[in-house]
Amino acid sequence: MSSASPMISVRNLWKVFGNNPEKVIGSPDALLTRTELRAKTGNTIAVRDVSFDVAPGEVFVVMGLSGSGKSTLVRCMTRLIEPTQGQLQFEGEDILKVDNARLRELRKTRFSMVFQHFGLLPHRKVIDNIAYSLEINGVKKDARHARANEVIELVGLQGYANAYPEQLSGGMQQRVGLARALAVDPQVLFLDEPFSALDPLIRRDMQQEVIRLHHELGKTMVFITHDLSEAVKVGDRIAIMRDGAIVQIGTPEDLVANPADEYVANFVRDIAKSHVLTLKHLARKAEPGDATDGPELAANTIIRDAAQVILQSHKPVRVNDNGAALGIVSSEDVLRLISGGA
Amino acid sequence: MKVRKSYLLLASVTVWILLGRLLNGTHTLQIATYENTAFTSYIGEKALDFRGNRTESTAFIYFFNPIRGAIDGFVQIIRNLIAVPAQNSVIPIIGWLGVVAIVAFAVYATSQWRTALLAVSLLLACGALGMWQFTMDSIAMTLAAVLLSLAIGIPLGIWAGLSDRVLKIFTPFLDLAQILPTLVYMAPIALVFMIGAASATIATMIYSIPIAIRITSHAIRNLNQAPVEAAESMGSTQKQKLTKVQIPMAKQMIVLGINQTVMAAVSFVVIAALIGAPGLGKPVIEALIIRNVGQGFVAGFAVVFLAILLDRSTSAAAKRQDSFIPETEKQIKTKRITLIVAGILTIVAVFMSRTMLWAAVWPKEVTIAPQVAKVTNDATAWILENLTIFTVGFKDLISYAFLNPLETQLAASPWYVTVAMIVALALIIGGTRIAILSFVLSMAIVLSGLWYEAMLTLTQTIVGCLLTMIIGLALGIWTGRSDRAERALRPFLDAGQTLPAFVYLVPMLGLFGPTRFTAIATGIVYSIPVVVKIVCEGIRAVPHSLIEAATAAGSTTRQIITKVQLPAAKKTMLLATNQGLIYVLAVVVIGGFVGAGGLGYLVIAGNSKPELQGKGLIAGVAILLLGVIFDRIMQAGARRSS
Ligand SMILES: Nc1ncnc2c1ncn2[C@@H]1O[C@H](COP(=O)(O)OP(=O)(O)OP(=O)(O)O)[C@@H](O)[C@H]1O
Ligand SMILES: [Mg+2]
Repeated sequence: MSSASPMISVRNLWKVFGNNPEKVIGSPDALLTRTELRAKTGNTIAVRDVSFDVAPGEVFVVMGLSGSGKSTLVRCMTRLIEPTQGQLQFEGEDILKVDNARLRELRKTRFSMVFQHFGLLPHRKVIDNIAYSLEINGVKKDARHARANEVIELVGLQGYANAYPEQLSGGMQQRVGLARALAVDPQVLFLDEPFSALDPLIRRDMQQEVIRLHHELGKTMVFITHDLSEAVKVGDRIAIMRDGAIVQIGTPEDLVANPADEYVANFVRDIAKSHVLTLKHLARKAEPGDATDGPELAANTIIRDAAQVILQSHKPVRVNDNGAALGIVSSEDVLRLISGGA
Repeated sequence: MKVRKSYLLLASVTVWILLGRLLNGTHTLQIATYENTAFTSYIGEKALDFRGNRTESTAFIYFFNPIRGAIDGFVQIIRNLIAVPAQNSVIPIIGWLGVVAIVAFAVYATSQWRTALLAVSLLLACGALGMWQFTMDSIAMTLAAVLLSLAIGIPLGIWAGLSDRVLKIFTPFLDLAQILPTLVYMAPIALVFMIGAASATIATMIYSIPIAIRITSHAIRNLNQAPVEAAESMGSTQKQKLTKVQIPMAKQMIVLGINQTVMAAVSFVVIAALIGAPGLGKPVIEALIIRNVGQGFVAGFAVVFLAILLDRSTSAAAKRQDSFIPETEKQIKTKRITLIVAGILTIVAVFMSRTMLWAAVWPKEVTIAPQVAKVTNDATAWILENLTIFTVGFKDLISYAFLNPLETQLAASPWYVTVAMIVALALIIGGTRIAILSFVLSMAIVLSGLWYEAMLTLTQTIVGCLLTMIIGLALGIWTGRSDRAERALRPFLDAGQTLPAFVYLVPMLGLFGPTRFTAIATGIVYSIPVVVKIVCEGIRAVPHSLIEAATAAGSTTRQIITKVQLPAAKKTMLLATNQGLIYVLAVVVIGGFVGAGGLGYLVIAGNSKPELQGKGLIAGVAILLLGVIFDRIMQAGARRSS
């Protein structure tokens, strides 16, 4: 993933709210905690010296507790909020330097956002909500309705084109939100807690929907959530934020296997390890007495998916990483992990 | 700290009373009504000069006169349409039948046939009261003022809704407009734009534009921000965001603002008869001046009908915007057909009203005015004969118990004692800054030469406010605690708030005769609805958990009210008192010309008596200063208590 040039590149990004925000950065005040700084200068550091790259086609998840700066970060990336300092590149173009016209251009064609509270226009039908960005792009009515109908189908809202948002359930409204974001065929989708307002069953459906759309359309996504299982389900990589700073970035497996600190460890504690870790994590040297002619599995198989084969096999499974033998995994190893041991 | 404050208050009041008794009747600054001080006659002369300049000074020639001309012309066009014949014509362009048909059509088109029916009945009732032409004049004046107010207020409101800077600049003016008694700015405007329709329209606009601005900016600011942000994230320009998202979403609230603007305008247009507004205000004032209660009732009913008509038709239109979902195709189709039919009938009616005399001019024989006048006159006479014990008894009770002692204390004490007392109160309640402000403003009133009159007005306002608060608190607590009571009272409160203060003077005059008490009673009746509403809301806003906890601890109902609900709603109580004071003050001064005297009388007399013009203008300013002193002290008190 790191080989291709990144779709989005964020370097040393800061957002400080309050008066004279630039003064805070680089001063000793920047080291204070949020409450201390607020009491002293009235400023809030919402995003603190954040750097990361997002590769084309990647789903990059940002996680963190409430108030950790996720929404601010994602809004800085589309300049709905002006960052205080830092660099921000989109396909090599410096986003923080572009003028308003170019910024609107990018928003109209390259990025789309999906919001927690949907943000649908209550006075417009579903189809005209979806066609809004095409409308402001100057697309003629027939053409934009044709395109809107395509995306309506894509998100499974057939038959609701002429409904009004308030006539739809929350899940359907967010499908409209998704469809609206997809209508201009953007390269990047920014999703700010898109499913937090939905109840659990619908949320699961919608997560599946995003995964499906990602497979079908291959869009790059920056996905904000505070729900770890959601992050694991949709994300290729996860960044964990605390008090505006990124504490750790990694694959779900990295985070579970090697949490950078207590905060991250606490964060990932509740996750079922078997759902994120791969066989690579469990593989060990064969000890005397272990059979070495068991079935073979790839090292990047998630343990949960491998469990059935391993538990049913009488012999330990051999783990194979692109041809190199990593070792073996026995039923006991799997059971120990599932029951909470290391 | 708290205890010390109330001791301080008690101590200063005691000192004040003692000093007042001791020095009673000295240095009261009282002058006869027709007497002028050097200052008032100087202002009077200046006003006269100013008026004389109307044809000479450039400000008039290039600014004020053209504005007056344009507005006069605009009003005249609308009046010619429905109310008065144009120059070389004998009937207005549209006669009564046409107007009725157009109102019915317009109301039906924007709401539903039931409202249209109500509107037509009310309009016909105005005609039957013999008030057709006055009603049309009031409608024309209201329409002109509302159109201009909205044309200015809505764009400014949108601007203030979009920009924090603009809102910050507007806020002091909007706040001032809320506490400005209506009577205050009529005279200066009449001085610049002359007595007549233009002045009345401009004064009305000054009253109603702030309301349009306030509600529109509130509508834009309180939109659900999610769709607005979404529109921005999709690359909308500012203009696209405004026209495609913010305004459509705020439409419902803005229509509500139109309703409020209309109601403000109609109540002001009635009072603006004092500076020459044509319309229903004229017969009301006439009746009040000649103390003809029956005639007052006839015109007063027409005012009430007109207010209800305008309120119902505009608020029904606002209600129709409740949902963003339009009607179904079928509903739209049926409505379209009925609208076409109704439209054709309307055109026929308008045509008839232009060609046939019976449809053009309201037939004089069709009237119930004499009957209404007789019934109300008889009723008044009966009341005066049989219920005097109650009315006079009540009046005397209040007069001897509150009015006279307070008037002695405020007006008959030396001015420096009263000023010192006001400053002391301001210091204890509001702090140093408020005290300095109160001192400066009080001294300004003293120097203006109208101190004595101001103290009369102050007395009436305080007593009116006291009674308002007693009644308003009781009703407010009741409605705050009982849904049934709220439901029962709500229509009266709503109706009470939509009627112009002026019409309340009529029945009060019938009950209490031409005395200061009539003004006070009118002030009380006028301000009770707003006080009740605020108190009720405050009581309801007290968290339920607090009350549950108190109940669980075994409190009685009385303890819950006095120990939990009232203290928790303290800030709202102060706010209610403040509003009560401002409302009572605004009405008490209008009562000036049914015998209340004080500053209000001077303002009104200043409009018609040239020798009192200077005094009238200054009296207006003095009313404003009194209002500001009150408002600041109360607001500071509210801020400190929270
Ligand atoms: N406009 C603003 N002005 C001042 N402070 C702000 C503003 N917007 C956000 N903040 C502060 O910045 C911090 C980060 O807020 P942000 O909304 O980005 O958090 P979040 O991680 O999205 O939280 P949540 O999960 O609740 O959505 C918070 O402390 C918040 O109070
Ligand atoms: Mg957020």
